[in-house]
Amino acid sequence: MIRLRGVTKRFRDGAREVAVLRGVDLDVAPGELVAIVGPSGSGKSTLLHVAGALDRDFEGEAVVAGTALGGLDDAARAELRNRAVGFVFQSFNLLPALSALENVMLPGILRRPGPDGRIAEIRARARDALLRVGLADRAEAPPSRLSGGERQRVALARALLSRPAVLLADEPTGNLDAASGADVIRLFSELARGGVSVLVVTHEERVSDAATRVLRLSDGRLG
Amino acid sequence: MAGARGILWLAGAALRADRRGAAVNAVAACVGAAALVLFLALGLGVGAAARRLFPADARLVEVVPARVSLGGVLGGGRLDDDAVARLRALPGAAAAWPRLPLGVPVSASEPAGGLGGRWPSGLALQLPLVGVDPALVADDVAPGAFADPPPGEPIPIVLARRLVEVYDRTLAPAWNLRRLPPGVSLVGVELPVRIGHSIVAGASEARVAPERLRLAGLSDRVPLYAVAVPIETVRRLHREYGKGEPAYGQVTVLAARPEDVPSLAAAVRRMGFSVDEGERATAERVATIVKVTTGALVLLAVTMCGLAALAIAQALSASVRGRARELAVLQALGAAPADVRRIVLAEGAAIGLAGGLAGALLARGLAALGDAAAARLLPDLPFRPESFFLFPPWLLALGVAVPVLAAIAGALGPAAAAARIDPARTLA
Repeated sequence: MIRLRGVTKRFRDGAREVAVLRGVDLDVAPGELVAIVGPSGSGKSTLLHVAGALDRDFEGEAVVAGTALGGLDDAARAELRNRAVGFVFQSFNLLPALSALENVMLPGILRRPGPDGRIAEIRARARDALLRVGLADRAEAPPSRLSGGERQRVALARALLSRPAVLLADEPTGNLDAASGADVIRLFSELARGGVSVLVVTHEERVSDAATRVLRLSDGRLG
Repeated sequence: MAGARGILWLAGAALRADRRGAAVNAVAACVGAAALVLFLALGLGVGAAARRLFPADARLVEVVPARVSLGGVLGGGRLDDDAVARLRALPGAAAAWPRLPLGVPVSASEPAGGLGGRWPSGLALQLPLVGVDPALVADDVAPGAFADPPPGEPIPIVLARRLVEVYDRTLAPAWNLRRLPPGVSLVGVELPVRIGHSIVAGASEARVAPERLRLAGLSDRVPLYAVAVPIETVRRLHREYGKGEPAYGQVTVLAARPEDVPSLAAAVRRMGFSVDEGERATAERVATIVKVTTGALVLLAVTMCGLAALAIAQALSASVRGRARELAVLQALGAAPADVRRIVLAEGAAIGLAGGLAGALLARGLAALGDAAAARLLPDLPFRPESFFLFPPWLLALGVAVPVLAAIAGALGPAAAAARIDPARTLA
């Protein structure tokens, strides 16, 4: 789950300070798919970064997957991202030198070695994740040989490797054609039904149509 | 924080992604490592050869009679038992061993047993014998093997270790004698001689007796130009041939510590004796030349390693700037800033390791080429080493460690820059 209370985020623009988020309150329960819509520059991505423990310089209270973000050091926030948060980006953000399978393995590689920390086991789990998004046969392909839809499904498989409690997606269908976008939206819905808290930032109606709730972010405030 | 295997996996992936850049940097590290290993190996090899040529013991002071002496006025002059006792009692002296040259001629006219070849017909050698204290060579012979023998037994001798080299490289080929195989034990070899016989007409004694000399050991403490026998044997032969009690030719004083040598030498001179520093001074000069030359070459090699580190720093800085987004993605997936720092450091270390290993191998190959060229081009002189290079295991370890450390040092800046990447801002 995600719980934000009074979250305010300011950026410094030269001498003046600009508030991108102004006292945002948000709850995303397990099993919910919440869509945030709003114009460009309204702070949607910043909200995702706060909820995903990527951004720490904010005011207010944020609790993600049962962990209060306030006071966590860099290592603890990294561990939380690794174990509980999955990210999907509009531009996929796959590492070009790695194969699809290796990209999916990354969260497992970055995890502190434990009982499930062996490379072979991480590889097997990554294959399962690719199978789940329908790309088992494209495991060894580099991102450059994948279509946009396939790349986003690889990114989704990567986000799912750690079986996260929270999935954060930033314009996940922005670079996809209609069919690929529909596939991704269907996968998001399946994940939400499976108990994952899914928060999607989008300006596309087809995404918000699939959401259980749609919230509008405007002037840094959620409405 | 990610585990070491994960960090290495990610560093390896980054290096594979830029194989060409990694290879260029590894070549830079390789050149530095090869130069370092090769120059140090050359210094060690030449130094070892020089020590074989001039095996000076840092604790020995060779005392000889002064060329101009006031004799009893200053207490110097004759090197006799009294002088030896006073030398032994000097502060810092641990022992004093006199040498007594044999005043009776000794000649050999046939080869030593087991070393036979085509001994030139009619050839007779005059052998200079010098009596030495058995304690001087105690470390080089079996206990009790170097003492005045009972009648009928061969006289034990000790030869300079360097004499074997001179024999092998000059005498043996000149006289068509068999060379000594490397590592062969010569101890026990006997040489028939005639005591009292001189190759100089009219210089032989009235009594000439056949005798055998048996090699008891090889030592760096006996003179190169003489055959060392027990000093009691010399005294006995002097009595038998009526030579009286000649003075000692030289006394070897052993200092308790190397740092006692200067004060000991000064005290010897104050006693009115001279100190023979010819060989020691030459050894020290050669050692200094070798050390200074090696030091300069090593400095050059370390500079090359430093330049390699700078090249790696520059390349990794560019690499970090170019993949800031990838590093931010890794942070989004669970990498802490410390993990990102370790990934870049591991990339540097891997480049240094590859370069160091290749450099150490390259140095071995170049050394082999150098030795082959030396064997072909240089004459087969005594003390020419089989190899001018020495590669002790620590040197190879150093040859790998230095480029690794240099590469890590070069990666420190880029790694810190990578750890400062703000993922939220970079991914926005």
